[in-house]
Amino acid sequence: MPEPAFVVEDYSFWFKIPGAERRLALDSVSFSVEKGSFVLILGESGSGKSTLALNLVGIYPDYFGGFNEGRVLINHRTKGLVNRRELDRGERFQTVNMLFQNPEDQVVTLTVEEEVAFALENYLVPPAEIRERVERALDRVGLQGFKERSTLKLSGGEKQRVALAAMLAMEPSVLILDEPTSNLDPAGTEEVLDAIRLVRERADITLVIVEHEVDRVFHQVDEVLLVEGLTVHGPESPREFLAKRGMQVRDDMGLWIPQAAEVSLELAKRGVSLTRTHLTGEELVEDLGAAGAREPAAPPPETTTPEARHLVEAAEPVITVRGVNFSYPTKSDVLSDIDLDIRKGELLAIVGQNGSGKSTLASCLTGLFEPTSGTVNVDGKPTVDYKFADLARRVAYIFQVPEKQFIRKSVYEEMAHGLKALKVPADEVERRVEEVLRTVHLDQRKDSSPFLLSHGQKRRLSVACMVISEPEVVILDEPTFGQDWRQAGRLMDYMRRLADAGAAVTFITHDMRLVAEYADRCVAMKDGRIIFEGRPHELFSSPRVLTAAKLKAPPVFEFSRELLGESTLGTAKLIDQLEARFGRPGAVVQGS
Amino acid sequence: MDDLELSYKEANSPFHRMDPFSKTLYVLAVSTTAIFNSSLYVGIGLFVLTFSCAAFFSGVSLHAYWKLGKVILPFILILTFVFPFFYANQLSVGSEDIAIRTPIKDLTWAAVGFGALLGLRFLAIGLSGLTYAFTTHPSDLVQGFARRGLDYRIVHAPVLGLVLFPSFLQLARDISTTQRVRDLGADLHPIARKWASLKHLAFSMLLMGLRRGQTQAMALDIRGYGAHKTRTFLRPIPSSMAGRVFGWTCFALAVGYLVLQLGNLAGHMPWDFGG
Repeated sequence: MPEPAFVVEDYSFWFKIPGAERRLALDSVSFSVEKGSFVLILGESGSGKSTLALNLVGIYPDYFGGFNEGRVLINHRTKGLVNRRELDRGERFQTVNMLFQNPEDQVVTLTVEEEVAFALENYLVPPAEIRERVERALDRVGLQGFKERSTLKLSGGEKQRVALAAMLAMEPSVLILDEPTSNLDPAGTEEVLDAIRLVRERADITLVIVEHEVDRVFHQVDEVLLVEGLTVHGPESPREFLAKRGMQVRDDMGLWIPQAAEVSLELAKRGVSLTRTHLTGEELVEDLGAAGAREPAAPPPETTTPEARHLVEAAEPVITVRGVNFSYPTKSDVLSDIDLDIRKGELLAIVGQNGSGKSTLASCLTGLFEPTSGTVNVDGKPTVDYKFADLARRVAYIFQVPEKQFIRKSVYEEMAHGLKALKVPADEVERRVEEVLRTVHLDQRKDSSPFLLSHGQKRRLSVACMVISEPEVVILDEPTFGQDWRQAGRLMDYMRRLADAGAAVTFITHDMRLVAEYADRCVAMKDGRIIFEGRPHELFSSPRVLTAAKLKAPPVFEFSRELLGESTLGTAKLIDQLEARFGRPGAVVQGS
Repeated sequence: MDDLELSYKEANSPFHRMDPFSKTLYVLAVSTTAIFNSSLYVGIGLFVLTFSCAAFFSGVSLHAYWKLGKVILPFILILTFVFPFFYANQLSVGSEDIAIRTPIKDLTWAAVGFGALLGLRFLAIGLSGLTYAFTTHPSDLVQGFARRGLDYRIVHAPVLGLVLFPSFLQLARDISTTQRVRDLGADLHPIARKWASLKHLAFSMLLMGLRRGQTQAMALDIRGYGAHKTRTFLRPIPSSMAGRVFGWTCFALAVGYLVLQLGNLAGHMPWDFGG
């Protein structure tokens, strides 16, 4: 029988709120994880994934309160399976530890070497041994040669790898990774996931990951745990999990699942007999390709109909950017020679790495920054000629972190703020606020403080309070950051409706699935320049642009080309085409 | 991250080889002497000493000193060139003619010397402080004081501040930007508007700062911060006999000068160029 890395036995955890009953967060949870395995934790936003992770490490309830019953047994390197409580603090954290979402919250020293050595110094490890362990940990995450580098000058991905190395240096038996890529751009995400793969190869460790980049992770993990309704299901193998719960977690819980699995499960649902649930595009190509999926080329897919696109292209630009350059006092050429039109009725995506100039461009569009040279015209008038408040009413800017945007004490006041500034009559304000609150499903929370909403609710509020005054242009920075599939879809559908009603919607994103499924047009930036402007299909078909901007097409774009000879941007069209080919009665699609 | 240019600069200079405690003695000696000094000649001597240390013994370019020093230069220039007009024996304080209408030709040598002394005083303190910051690795600072019995968490706090400050600053900038975008207090009088902005900024910063602080505290905790009263240090602390001699000599001279100075203060104005 395989040795467990940890065992959770009938474990419950709850908070006590003064004057109220206990509020359960985990209820009689039992499961065990095999030593050396790689486990993915899935669950809805707010379902308790992080609470479970923090309980495994012991941060809950020991450090931040709460009550528990049941046991968490950890496989200690020398003592074997012991109750977590029997280990003192130092021993426990050197046995099971955790990497957080945001590297900025974890880096506490000035150089990479010091950062990796930090915990070891605290645990009184002799300097000679620290030196060895630092070397080993940096090697495991592929950061050899980074020792002397300043932590302040690292990219997000590098910082997260340093934080990972700092954890590995403690040589824990179990390491929990809590959404380690959620704050990173595509290149940073790639770096961290590669580092995790290296760790799997080079270290004797059990890894537990909470991650939304399912397309990149699902096929790598050994087991999946699902947190749902205060309890934990599993562990199950990824294939077993998807076959059993794939459609349920996508449709009922609103979670992302790998695009290949989505195609596979949808085909199975429509009566195509498949011999397995596919985890990757390669597997789909292997099975369906062998069964003769490819047929004569179909016309390139569109995210809007040709007629609609024609209208968008013909629409008058609401913002025109001509020859814009921008420099900070300490950094020159942040933007260089930017020419861009933003049109009514269009969803425009701006993509590129962190530091490529996307947010600076957005700040120029909203009048927050004045271009060093060139012009930004809104409705034919330069932004510099507007009073800032007037411009802000025409061009709404929605920030990545919703909390930074809230300025009022209640959800209702937050929504009413913009309308009151426009001197809209009180009864009209009330009517419109109530209406929009219902649209974004916040009518039950209208008296709550904006800061007390869930992340998804905060995001919806931040968007709603900016669009309620019906601006001509809406600019969103990472609209789906930290949101699950259902929330992201709802938000983008809302944006689509705004665009269809005549607004110009521009969104900055690292999420290529979003670009593929929603953008009418996209702009790729690199080093302050626009290196591509065109349709999503053209962007993903250009390896040169993708390489230069360090972007990656969504998996379906790649494997649909392999399967059909033509790429599709979303899974829906591919599923329809495959169903048409394989959906005949009695057909069985079998792998080679 | 440019805010952190103040941090340590790697080099192998006599000051880099000094232990942090000796460097603290040097800075302490310069500062106390500069503050209590009333002799222009001693002021010049202090400036020459600190300038020489910075230019020849710190291994850091004068450009780096200038980059940071220029921030406080206007303050020093004001002290040097404006304060002499307020010096005793110029027009009396409270007169309408003071300062702006005092002709330069009426300035006494004593007043000019007074201004020069003020300028030199802050230049010396600034130079010695920057030399300390440029040549002292934060880990050495923590280690140096921890070895002398101080809780390492107390000494490490400024290092944490140095690392975390930029993100805190960024948070404040972002909130201020959203206040502009959302036109906070548009219907208020400018002063009331400013007050509303400040109140909101303070509340948001506190709330978000506390949340981040909680995560940061957790991240420190799980890495054993404070698990033991002491800690080991990967980096060997620099130490040199010459450095220790230099530090203690500066300190002894400062103490001696201070004793002498306290006895001589009354009625004597040694910064008077005119004798």
